[in-house]
Amino acid sequence: MEIRRFILKRLIEIFVIFFVILTVLFLLFRLAPGDPVTRMVDPTLTPEDAAHLIAQLGLDQPIWLQYIYYLKNFFTGNFGISFHYGVAVFSIILNRLPNTILLFSTSILLSAFAGVFWGKIASWHKGKKTDTWMTLGALICHTLFLPWLALIMIWIFGFNIGWFPLNGMISPEIWMDSSSGFWLKFLDVAHHMVLPLATLFLIHFGSYLLLMRSSMLDTLKEDYILTARAKGLAEKVIRNQHAAPNAALPVVTSVGISLAFSLSGGALTETVFSWPGIGRELVFAVSNSDYPLAQASFLLIATVVLISNLVVDVLYAYLDPRIKY
Amino acid sequence: MDIATALKRKSLFLIHIFIILLLPLSCGKQPDHHFLKIGLHEEPKTLNIWLASDANSKKILSLIYQPLYLRDPETLNLIPWLADGEPKYHPGTISYTVRLKPAKWSDGSDVTSKDVAFTAGIIKEFRVPRYYSSWKFIKRIETPNSRTVRFYLEEPTAIFLTRTLTSSIVSTKEWTSIAQSARAKQKPLAALINQKIEKPVGCGPFVLKKWQRGTYVHLEKNRYFFGLRENIGGRILGPYVNDLLFKVYGTADVAVLALKKGSIDMFLWGIQPGYIDDLKRHKNIQLFYSKKSAVYFMGFNLRSPPFNDVSLRRAIAVLVDKEFIISRILQKYGTPMDSIVPPGNQHWFCSDVPRYGEGMDRNHRIKTAYHILEKAGYTWEEPPVDGSDRVVLGKGIRLPNGQLMEKFTILTPPADYDPHRAMSGMMIQEWLRALGMPVLSRPMAFGALITQVKGRHEFDAFILGYGRLSLDPDYLRNFFHSANDKQGGWNMSGYNNPEFDHIAEKSAHEMNQEQRQKLIFKMQKIIMADVPYIPIYNPALIEAVRKDTFGGWVETLDGIGNLWSFCLVKPNSGKTGQ
Repeated sequence: MEIRRFILKRLIEIFVIFFVILTVLFLLFRLAPGDPVTRMVDPTLTPEDAAHLIAQLGLDQPIWLQYIYYLKNFFTGNFGISFHYGVAVFSIILNRLPNTILLFSTSILLSAFAGVFWGKIASWHKGKKTDTWMTLGALICHTLFLPWLALIMIWIFGFNIGWFPLNGMISPEIWMDSSSGFWLKFLDVAHHMVLPLATLFLIHFGSYLLLMRSSMLDTLKEDYILTARAKGLAEKVIRNQHAAPNAALPVVTSVGISLAFSLSGGALTETVFSWPGIGRELVFAVSNSDYPLAQASFLLIATVVLISNLVVDVLYAYLDPRIKY
Repeated sequence: MDIATALKRKSLFLIHIFIILLLPLSCGKQPDHHFLKIGLHEEPKTLNIWLASDANSKKILSLIYQPLYLRDPETLNLIPWLADGEPKYHPGTISYTVRLKPAKWSDGSDVTSKDVAFTAGIIKEFRVPRYYSSWKFIKRIETPNSRTVRFYLEEPTAIFLTRTLTSSIVSTKEWTSIAQSARAKQKPLAALINQKIEKPVGCGPFVLKKWQRGTYVHLEKNRYFFGLRENIGGRILGPYVNDLLFKVYGTADVAVLALKKGSIDMFLWGIQPGYIDDLKRHKNIQLFYSKKSAVYFMGFNLRSPPFNDVSLRRAIAVLVDKEFIISRILQKYGTPMDSIVPPGNQHWFCSDVPRYGEGMDRNHRIKTAYHILEKAGYTWEEPPVDGSDRVVLGKGIRLPNGQLMEKFTILTPPADYDPHRAMSGMMIQEWLRALGMPVLSRPMAFGALITQVKGRHEFDAFILGYGRLSLDPDYLRNFFHSANDKQGGWNMSGYNNPEFDHIAEKSAHEMNQEQRQKLIFKMQKIIMADVPYIPIYNPALIEAVRKDTFGGWVETLDGIGNLWSFCLVKPNSGKTGQ
């Protein structure tokens, strides 16, 4: 009953926050200088033609009227048509989002698992060489500049050694060949994914390792760990079955939030690797005042972040029986 | 065995298996020389010709939809393309007759005069932005037969030849139903431009085979192309390649690596000078250096002091060291500009204009600028040239009316948008400060800058550029005619000169090219005497291709990525697409 009441309360909160985000997003884009036509620096576009285009895009209406249409469209599931692509923003997001989820969620999950695993080992060997090297490695990875690392990876493994493609998500040669079967296409995507995935893994892995290590060190000071030792349990059992599950709670929160934010992709990663994800579209939409595309993308991210927060909260109660709502 | 060790071994084993599975993908692909692979900086946004405003969409569409006339790559003169012969002018009726070549659309239907009339109808009815200004003066179009079009103009209009006849023609069959459904909508233009075009029907050398969004665009040879094996402009046209494959490279670094590796044959985007030395060392890479139809300039707000004073503008023109900007900021890959018309536009470029500060060293520039201002009544608390004619740091400059010059700002795009313009702004700031001017160069987000300069007219000075100027110089009229000094108008400086307006209007209606050239020259001279804009530089376009795979690129103004190149490029293996 209590958890149900908690979920209901959070859902109401989420709805209110969502409405605020909806409004703030609308205002932010409308109040920013420029409009979709501003960037068309083309002397053949007369002010009259520009005004005509603005009117056709519905941007000549008073802001309050635009806001009403915006709300109406949103609640009827109409996210609008991109000013630059000329197609429904929903179809653009649908086209790009799976690519982003595939790359970024995989990288977050992989780096979280690796971070938890190595963080556990590092904390267990606190003060020893293993811990020192792991912490140092994690710190270095955590502070690497992503575009630089991405270019280095491309230069070494794509250009010099030639193991992996330089960029993109698929090889047109394979996908255009009608004889290419599912597995070949699957391997082709996996092949293209290795370098961006490795880059993101290196960047994220360090932070999870450090988080797990720090949480584990706190957990190891708990009384129940002392009790477990007093009961004569094996060290590995204490580490893996008693300490690690409790220490992993902050990592779960972090992964939950990161997974939600992964929907926004990473414009830098997607640009360097020419990965056709939503991150680049988001940057394009914002810098070119493509309001419908930018609004819909941000709303999607906001929705997922809000819901994932709720999921993480609920998950906490299951993972840690001490937490009650 | 320790769990960690076991897991590590299992992971390593799986990774090895995975890499073994993937490696054949790296080695198995053989380059196909009939596929011309081209790197794009960004994916095209749309294949709807009426919506496309980005360079990549336009580039791909230019291979599909064709105009009646095209510029010769060497002379830049218009030559018949889809048209058969020169247009015939009938002064009595202010009309032009154009004959069409026998041609077919990519769906196999005939290209007829009705298609030309239909294109005009769409543009005029829907007021299609960017096209409308080139077609609005056409009173009516007659189609006496399927291959003859007669255009009746409301009045003689010079851009008819250079802009109207060089606009792409669309197929009636493709667009009739789209236009019909758009007409029924509350916002017809929005409906027209928001129509998703899956398979554009054109009559150009290529047709769309597949657009895998986010990944590649595949064009294949149009077997109905009217120019196939025809001699047009003294060249036997292909295309000699069966397929074009456009792939996206988000950064120039990766595109350059792809070029060196052979993953692409050409990068359809200018390469920064920083890559040149590296690319020159590669035996299979050829570099092309072209002029651009572009102008990068400093503009002033002439609507209020201090820049409503021509002497101040001239003094600043002397202080701006274009050679320095080109050698240090553009790394010598550019041309200093002395007129708004780029020097590569040979027919319209006027070289006989005032050249402020040309060949002067820094001290000479400061002294000349000082003398111009002193003569115009400017005074200083500490003049930049002292009693013994030595250059010192000027302080406290006062306007001819005795008022202290107020602090002013040069707005530039930010360095992440265009480092050249941002850096130029900072250099100019330093040069003006040497004369005692209280100036600040301020980079600003591009959209905000345009809104402030073009929309609100709230600025002192700015640095902007036009990267793709039309080859017809009618833009001079757009930029400087007083009628365009309005919010959102292209006369951003607020220049107002009745003599210029008169000549500009005359030039817009002058159908004789030689007479028009004289008028355009006069306009350039007036502008450079009044300097509402100081043209600064024309950056060189550096392009790189693989010379071991394809050859026969056609160089022209704005580079080798032109329609001629794609009609003439051949595989170097000797095999051609039949």
